[in-house]
Amino acid sequence: MMNAADAIHPLALTAGYLMLLIPLAIIHWYRVPMLGQTISSVLRMTIQLILVGLYLQVVFRLNNPWLNMAWLLVMITVADLSILKGAQFRFGRLAAWLFAALLVGTAIPLFIFVGVILTRPEILDARYVIPIGGMILGNCLRADIIGIRTFYQSIRTGQKAYELALSQGATIAEAVRPHLRESIYQALTPTVATMANIGIVSLPGMMTGVIIGGNDPLTAIGYQIAIMLSIFTGTAITVFLAILLSARSAFTPYGILKQAIFKS
Amino acid sequence: MDNAATNRADNAIVIDKLTLEYGTQVLFRGFSLTVPAGQKVLLVGSSGSGKSSLVRCLLGFVTPQEGTIAIDGTILDGKTVWSLRRKIGYVSQEPQLGTGKVKDLIQLPFTYHANIHLKYDPSGQARLFEQFRLSAALLDKDISELSGGEKQRVALVISLLLGRSIYLLDEATSALDAEAKTAVLDYFRQRPDLTVLMVSHDTAIAAITDRTVTMPAVTAQEAV
Repeated sequence: MMNAADAIHPLALTAGYLMLLIPLAIIHWYRVPMLGQTISSVLRMTIQLILVGLYLQVVFRLNNPWLNMAWLLVMITVADLSILKGAQFRFGRLAAWLFAALLVGTAIPLFIFVGVILTRPEILDARYVIPIGGMILGNCLRADIIGIRTFYQSIRTGQKAYELALSQGATIAEAVRPHLRESIYQALTPTVATMANIGIVSLPGMMTGVIIGGNDPLTAIGYQIAIMLSIFTGTAITVFLAILLSARSAFTPYGILKQAIFKS
Repeated sequence: MDNAATNRADNAIVIDKLTLEYGTQVLFRGFSLTVPAGQKVLLVGSSGSGKSSLVRCLLGFVTPQEGTIAIDGTILDGKTVWSLRRKIGYVSQEPQLGTGKVKDLIQLPFTYHANIHLKYDPSGQARLFEQFRLSAALLDKDISELSGGEKQRVALVISLLLGRSIYLLDEATSALDAEAKTAVLDYFRQRPDLTVLMVSHDTAIAAITDRTVTMPAVTAQEAV
């Protein structure tokens, strides 16, 4: 049974804000052009987290599976829009395919984590599904932007090789294979590198949270291993599906990449 | 016989009143060209006259605004392009064959579903290598180690091993020395079964082609 972590009194948190005086003084003293931006970011972080905290408190208290699922869908929608913006593409209706990829890529490892590894009978329990879903989704989002961008940009820059493959009889799926390989490699490399260094360079977020929650480090390790495996599985599924599904609308009937998908 | 049947029997390529524009830039307008099966045609014209774009139209890489293209009597469109590409061998000035060893890249197209009925012929490859003055030692090299001329000849070998009947060669011999160029041109001259449309600035190639067609400046044009 987990113990609750010690609550931080709002007044005590003031000490944290006072700590900011040090970096702000450095920024101000050396006239680093980010004073306004830093203050604005700290304010935004505070307001956003207060609002989300209040909202999640309601969600956690109600712990209604439908409401939890709806919140997950909101998170996925926001991630979907971030990918479209981050990947610099004019996807239009392709946004629906990316949404489907994110949904499947997040749902599969999330439900295996909560339902099979943790053996929670209530798979949509807010206390598990929202934080764990958020961690998987955040990583899927980052990997998806890298994967999608690498895939379409490499076809664009390697247009001659792509066209030569088509002229030699390749289907679209066959001609894009080297580009798919490269984009999956680029998208998954950060997670693979993180797994290789985890625990040595830093204690990861989930493990830290479980320890602060009052559990022993070995319990925390179990959670951390499970979340890393879920993140890796989720990112691989999301990137692969996002490319596979979006490609259905990204090529002309002649097999040529539509230039209209690029913003520039 | 109807027209389609006539085309199938006699003409490998029929380009009819083709217009290609990129925004406000008109590359060619109303261009027509018929290449009978087995004929070798040299396509010349000033830079920017649209020769390479015309070749890319024939492969379905660029869609013209007006006009039609028929390959072996079949009109090129979004449905037929996939089967028509299987009739065409294409080699560009700077062929991008991918990454990896030469021998693997030569065999790669034989793994494509469309070519599943074809079998990679090592002895045919060895003969073509010898004929085109390519050393067998190149097979184990990485493609990035090859010179421009070697890449052009490897691309030619791949397209010939695929057994296509129509060849679109876009400055495909530009990086070859005189001996290698003669070897390649002699090969195509001795193959009456192959239709060849060559784009080149090298007018010496005209000696081995049946005729030369000039892409004129942008006006209504026809070369039959």
